[in-house]
Amino acid sequence: MVVECRDVSRTYDDDAVPVHALRGVDFQLAAGEWVSLAGPSGSGKSTLLHVIGGLDQPTTGSVVVDGVEVTALSAAQLSDLRLDKIGFVFQSYNLIPVLSALENVEFILQLQGVDRAERRSRSREALHSLGLSDLENRRPGEMSGGQQQRVAIARAIVTEPVLLLADEPSANLDTSTTRELLEVLQSLNRERGVTILTATHDPMVMGYTTRQVNLRDGNVVGDNA
Amino acid sequence: MNRARRMPVKLLMQLSWRNIWRHRRRNAILLSAIAIAVTGVTLLNMMMRGMQQDMMNTAIENLTGHVKILAPGYRDDPGIERGFEVVEGWQTALPGGVQGWAKRIRVPAVVMSERETRGIQLLGVDPVRESISFLGDATVDGERLAGPGDSRLLVGGLLTEALDTAPGRRLVLVTQGADGRTREAGFRIAGVYRAEIAGLEKAFVFTGLEALQQLLGTDKITEISIRLDHEDLEAPTIAGLTGSVENLDVLSWRELEPQAASMVEISDMAIYILFVIVMGALVFGLVNTLVTAVMERLRELGMLRAIGMRPRVVVAQVVVESSIIMAIGVATGLMLAAAMFAFVADGIDLTAFDDSLASFGMRPTFVPVFDIRDVVLVVVLSLALSVLASFYPARRAVKIKPLDALRR
Repeated sequence: MVVECRDVSRTYDDDAVPVHALRGVDFQLAAGEWVSLAGPSGSGKSTLLHVIGGLDQPTTGSVVVDGVEVTALSAAQLSDLRLDKIGFVFQSYNLIPVLSALENVEFILQLQGVDRAERRSRSREALHSLGLSDLENRRPGEMSGGQQQRVAIARAIVTEPVLLLADEPSANLDTSTTRELLEVLQSLNRERGVTILTATHDPMVMGYTTRQVNLRDGNVVGDNA
Repeated sequence: MNRARRMPVKLLMQLSWRNIWRHRRRNAILLSAIAIAVTGVTLLNMMMRGMQQDMMNTAIENLTGHVKILAPGYRDDPGIERGFEVVEGWQTALPGGVQGWAKRIRVPAVVMSERETRGIQLLGVDPVRESISFLGDATVDGERLAGPGDSRLLVGGLLTEALDTAPGRRLVLVTQGADGRTREAGFRIAGVYRAEIAGLEKAFVFTGLEALQQLLGTDKITEISIRLDHEDLEAPTIAGLTGSVENLDVLSWRELEPQAASMVEISDMAIYILFVIVMGALVFGLVNTLVTAVMERLRELGMLRAIGMRPRVVVAQVVVESSIIMAIGVATGLMLAAAMFAFVADGIDLTAFDDSLASFGMRPTFVPVFDIRDVVLVVVLSLALSVLASFYPARRAVKIKPLDALRR
């Protein structure tokens, strides 16, 4: 299993009334799957995605990613886990505005300490696989939303992570760009065996995934595995 | 996963450099403020060093030298009864780096002209050896002393005016001889000297060393003044002499001119205080700019952490960014200061404030002094301050959880 969540709860105590975002969730994700976490706003899908990605800590329960117990890691170890094992695609792309497309992809390899020649070749290859070879010198501000999201995917896959997490990846895209993006993800999943976990409420996204897990009020209420 | 990763220095430099260009106007204003502050501090340092050097040189050239040999008790009760003799070859104890030395007799005396009487310090000197004191460079109306046996007088310009006399005329000197009896003799004025410090002209009257010894009835001297190439040679010189001239005091100029020495020390402190005040004020501007820059980019910094940038690397990025701004500001400031220094390197004419300056032991032409140690101080402390200033915004950048930053 790439991901194993056991009895995961997440309660936010920020306000006077505690908010139970996850209530004892059990969830497994096998290598090569593309799973969509679906549900209405506030159902807990993004929280579960963030807990698995080490961006949020569960209040109780256990989260194991590629054999590593995430809840036991320090901030620096979590950074390393995200850097080495997980690729992130955010709904608002989150590229570094002062870097070109190629540099944005290269950036993550620089953090890993990969030497210049290798990271350049791997970054170009990732951009090429997403049809972005002609845009490698453009900065985010000079690209469309769809192009930026593809650069974000290239950045997420260039390290060959064991898990690709995509949080509402189609939220800011129109229908045709969303379709292009989903085909890219599908090809990564089918041809390169990338394991993908997507949080979405977009039916078009759910239609592309191999498995759909439904959440409501912090509980798993359906799984078509 | 837990392996130690090296800090991606090149990446941080690249990111920081480009981030600086994101807010050109804001950073240009900050850079200008740093550059102006550094220029100001550096120029002020040069002026203070010039003032310090001037006070020190005046104290040293004012017949003191870097090191002086005196009989014990002479400073409290100066007179020929505190005279001494030194053994032949005493100067072999001097280490290298000695510009020169001069034996002198200095006694209190009264000088009388036909019209006026004044109390003065009467000095018997060997004129050739006085190149180490202000006398060597002083302009003289009339003639200089011909040698240690010359029994004529060299009188200061202001004293000459006060006594209403002139070269070629005679003055009567009264002083106490070695036997304790009063000695009185007439001397002809060979020349009138002019000194940069007006007070010296009123205080000192010179004659030949041997001539004065003859008047006082002694073979002794009252002081040996030693001028060195550099102040740093003082300690080895004093150490070398202390063992070889027994029963005599070997003193540095700081002990002999404590007021001037304190002024030098105070100006040293003033340099540091001034720097801390100016740069301290600047640090607030830097912190403000960095906090604004960090808050604006909080989402981006959160994303960097979300994709795997370690907290310490985020801190390093803020620190590098701040250091680059400071380094450019300091470099610009130093270049401006160097350009301005070139205009005043030959000295600033302050003749209009001659009297006030003289009371501080300063000359009317003020020469700023470039000291590399001050430049190093400005560079090192500025960069240290920028690291310190960036700590608070950097801490804010990593204190917030990546997820919270991404939600902004």
